[in-house]
Amino acid sequence: MSIRGKAAIVGIGETPTDRLGGKPGEPRKSTAEYLAWAARLAIEDAGLTKKDFDGQGLAAIYTTNHSQPFWPEEVAAILGITPGVSLAGGNGGASSVSLLGHAAAAITAGLCDLVLVIAAAAPFSERGGHRGAHGDTRDFEMPFGVMGPNCKISFVMSRYMHESGMTDEHFGKVAVTGRYHASLNPNAYLRKPITIDDYKKSRMISDPIRLFDCVMPANGGKAYIMTSAERAKTMKKPPVYLLGWGECNNASYGPRYRANPLITGITQSGERAFKMSGVAHKDIRCLNLYDDYIPVVMIQIEDLGFCRRNDKAFFEKTDFTFKGDLPIQTSGGMINCGQPSTTGGMLHVIETVRQIRGEAGDRQVPNIKFGISTGVGAVNYGKNFGCTAAAILGSQS
Amino acid sequence: MAEEKVAKKPLPDVTPVNQPFWDGAKASKLMMQKCTNCSTWVFPPRPVCGDCASEKLDWVQVSGTGKVFCFTIIREVVGTALRGFAPDIPYVTAWVDLDDGPRLCSNVIGCPVEQVKIDMPVVTVFEDSGDGITLPKFKPA
Ligand SMILES: [Zn+2]
Repeated sequence: MSIRGKAAIVGIGETPTDRLGGKPGEPRKSTAEYLAWAARLAIEDAGLTKKDFDGQGLAAIYTTNHSQPFWPEEVAAILGITPGVSLAGGNGGASSVSLLGHAAAAITAGLCDLVLVIAAAAPFSERGGHRGAHGDTRDFEMPFGVMGPNCKISFVMSRYMHESGMTDEHFGKVAVTGRYHASLNPNAYLRKPITIDDYKKSRMISDPIRLFDCVMPANGGKAYIMTSAERAKTMKKPPVYLLGWGECNNASYGPRYRANPLITGITQSGERAFKMSGVAHKDIRCLNLYDDYIPVVMIQIEDLGFCRRNDKAFFEKTDFTFKGDLPIQTSGGMINCGQPSTTGGMLHVIETVRQIRGEAGDRQVPNIKFGISTGVGAVNYGKNFGCTAAAILGSQS
Repeated sequence: MAEEKVAKKPLPDVTPVNQPFWDGAKASKLMMQKCTNCSTWVFPPRPVCGDCASEKLDWVQVSGTGKVFCFTIIREVVGTALRGFAPDIPYVTAWVDLDDGPRLCSNVIGCPVEQVKIDMPVVTVFEDSGDGITLPKFKPA
């Protein structure tokens, strides 16, 4: 039994993102408030009411300050619903895309016919909560001055530049494209267009990672609602079907003690998603790829098979804008919309839905039927991502 | 809470699992875990092998020579946990692939940051933190 086309996204909700609450006098909103807000928006978008979710599915994504084992129950309590199927997202930034498959499986198996997938975080408002480093980070990275993910991805980027010959020009082009799309997205946070020169002048933080390579933490909440293909046809908004899906955790290319960090588990996740969907690469008109950093977007384009490895010429000649050859990051990505912890990745699901519905306004990709969204999470010691997931969405089941 | 005058650098928690690594470093030896069941290297230290899940892990001394696989030049302190590194900026943190062992993350010291290159041969130097922990770092071979 395949889940292909058996479930569809019928509601999306995205609160504005902000960075308020860190300074005295700034308004503070808690994770609970962002959760309630995002749920309200998604439920309204789907033309449902909160009552419809009693006895149905609720999928809550663990978030930085709220990782207690009973988080899905606490989210149900915050939202005031009594779910009959409880799912959790434990794949960090990949969770939103992972849960597309898990929710579709629950629906296809008849466990429920609605799933609300939700995440929120308020790292600025709730900064008080201590989050200590642990494990490998505490014992084998911090003593050597590894400054968090900026540093960890700069290792990958340094090797990527060495093997591929990619330069500022290539990374800058992807950064400029993302910001251009953000300038056309009223929900984006950084909306002033930039040039390649601005990218090159942005300051080095963890060389070769520059400021304009990096995602920015934010407060915010996001949610989406899935239902069965049958019920989807009766709903308020045009259904966006899940056609292909794959996830892959703990991938290693080469020995685990010396893995190739330039290939990620998106290679396997993507392959499974393409195989399930039967959709050809040429028919995918929109790539919304997890973007904690610019080079991560580029490596995923290679992982997904849209070009060869280290294909400099491809990155030079391809128009990645919404009206171009291969539109990517049409929302502006998390880099320009902000990353509320593990909620951030849901941006890429929501944007693909908007594009396929034809709701993307000034950045609408013309004639789009299919799009792909990815998520990644956990940057592991001496490797790249521990969690990966990919999903192909489309307007026809 | 009053700010400490000189911010300290974070040090590892020495645990039963990783203790042989840190004891080795104190004795100027680079010790690594190897699985006796499947012969793979295991690093960072683990109670079970990450490949075959065997608990039969040995500690062996490695030569301490290797090559820089990739590196970053840290030019800015991000956050507060690592503000003790501020006086060292700019400094190099690298993944070093050992000639006879696994990959590890450490600093390349003993040369200007501009001289560090990918594939550069390096050798271990043991640096006493002054707080009971010796850190294995690397210098150009
Ligand atoms: Zn083993």
